[in-house]
Amino acid sequence: MRFIGQFCYLNKKYLMIADQKYWNPVLETLPRDRLRDLQLKKFKRIFQWAYDHSKFHRQLYQKAGLEPGDIRSFEDIRRIPRVDKAMMREIQCKDPFPYGDALCVPLDEVTVFRQTSGTTGQPVYQPDTWQDWEWWTECWSYTLWAQGYRATDRVFIPFGYNVFVAFWAGHYAAEKMGCEVIPGGVLDTQARILKIQELKATAMMATPTYILGMADTARNKLGIDPVGLSINKITCAGEPGASIPSTKKRMETSWGAKVYDHAGATEIGAWSYECLNQPGGIHVNEACFLVEIEDMQTGEIIEEPGRRGQMIITALDRQAQPCIRFSAKDVIEWDPKLCDCGRTFRLIKGGVLGRSDDITKVKGVLLAPAAIEAVVRDIDGLGDEYEVVIDKLGDMDRIKLKVELIPGAEDRAKAIENQLKDLLRLKTNLAYRIEFYDYGRLPRYEVKARRFKDLRKKNTNNK
Amino acid sequence: MDNSIDLEVIDAKIQAIKIAAEELKQLGHKFPAVSRNAHRILASIKMLEINVSDWAKLNVSE
Repeated sequence: MRFIGQFCYLNKKYLMIADQKYWNPVLETLPRDRLRDLQLKKFKRIFQWAYDHSKFHRQLYQKAGLEPGDIRSFEDIRRIPRVDKAMMREIQCKDPFPYGDALCVPLDEVTVFRQTSGTTGQPVYQPDTWQDWEWWTECWSYTLWAQGYRATDRVFIPFGYNVFVAFWAGHYAAEKMGCEVIPGGVLDTQARILKIQELKATAMMATPTYILGMADTARNKLGIDPVGLSINKITCAGEPGASIPSTKKRMETSWGAKVYDHAGATEIGAWSYECLNQPGGIHVNEACFLVEIEDMQTGEIIEEPGRRGQMIITALDRQAQPCIRFSAKDVIEWDPKLCDCGRTFRLIKGGVLGRSDDITKVKGVLLAPAAIEAVVRDIDGLGDEYEVVIDKLGDMDRIKLKVELIPGAEDRAKAIENQLKDLLRLKTNLAYRIEFYDYGRLPRYEVKARRFKDLRKKNTNNK
Repeated sequence: MDNSIDLEVIDAKIQAIKIAAEELKQLGHKFPAVSRNAHRILASIKMLEINVSDWAKLNVSE
């Protein structure tokens, strides 16, 4: 007999269930060694699938001298070449149109098209079969169940349903667990808030930027305090904000609701979630994904907690366009502890900390934009919006931070500026020029924000 | 109330449904309303396999 948390295994086949805390009470609480066995088995299967059905994958692996029979351990997996977004873009110039030869199924089995947002270049197209779509929904079900969504919830989704996957699968996962879903599609922000009020929605999903923007619109344009609405939980994705403590606190205070993080990507799937315990990190859904962390300088795989690196991820069940050892550029680190919630899925400490291609050197110092957000949102008297501009004067990098004072804080501007400069120097080791703007002057965003502007390359190109 | 889960029993049911759905899909060869719905059922069955059968079979194969 073996005890894991509040569960009890009997001859490996039986599990005592204390409550319905987990979407999958078996897989989410497996002993770590058994979970690794399952991941290895599933990795071998998806590798074989891609090798057998995709010309791109077969050629990639043959070039590396690898066949499916060579993959017997996690050490073997590390010999498999990574795939990155640039390779996916190149593949899509080939047949069959429009996906290219990473496609593992006949075109007539593809039932839905999605594409990446194109933030880092030409968008990548993503084909999914109906089974893939069921799988997307299944992964989101792990997320929503862990965050307390149940059949009694009425879920509002303020998202422009379109070619971006965003909250599509969240919609269907909420339906799967019996929630009543309100698609907030083409409504504008004010109409969405009024619909939440009218229907007494209890939960919603959006980017952190939009959650804060909705609260601002409710207060300042409609005279509605969002705390007085009926939203009690919010799932955020698309930006790291829900794992940045100061941003999470602002959202929770604004709405009087619990805010949970979730990370996913079009080419990967919905790979992680924060649970009800809010442990200061997100669980990797290790039943469906294998996450590795790679040292950005040496390429070495990092096993131990506390060292940051970029994520290499495999979706273990994705069919049409497999995601095998995909270099996602997300900067993450393992948390040393397992969560008190009883899940044995490992935690990513502090969520996704940023993207490796967003981290830039300013005056010789590595700067992650999320660190600036954490400071700005922690200062009382500043609005939610900000903008960072980096440029060059001669050979010298300069960094400017634009912020807004909230109404009534104008007389504290000098003290706020000093506090801001001190905290920024402490957290980022850099000095900033601060520019204050009247409340409402900086740009507002509906989906992913573009608050970080590095003009140095542009200036170089102009020369 | 018995609150245990027998994964082998659940897996056996999943495999029985899978066989039935595959047969249905074949039978609906000239009947799109049958074959396409059976196709969708098979995708749902795959989710049951991901949640239960992959793990249950890993144990059995030991």
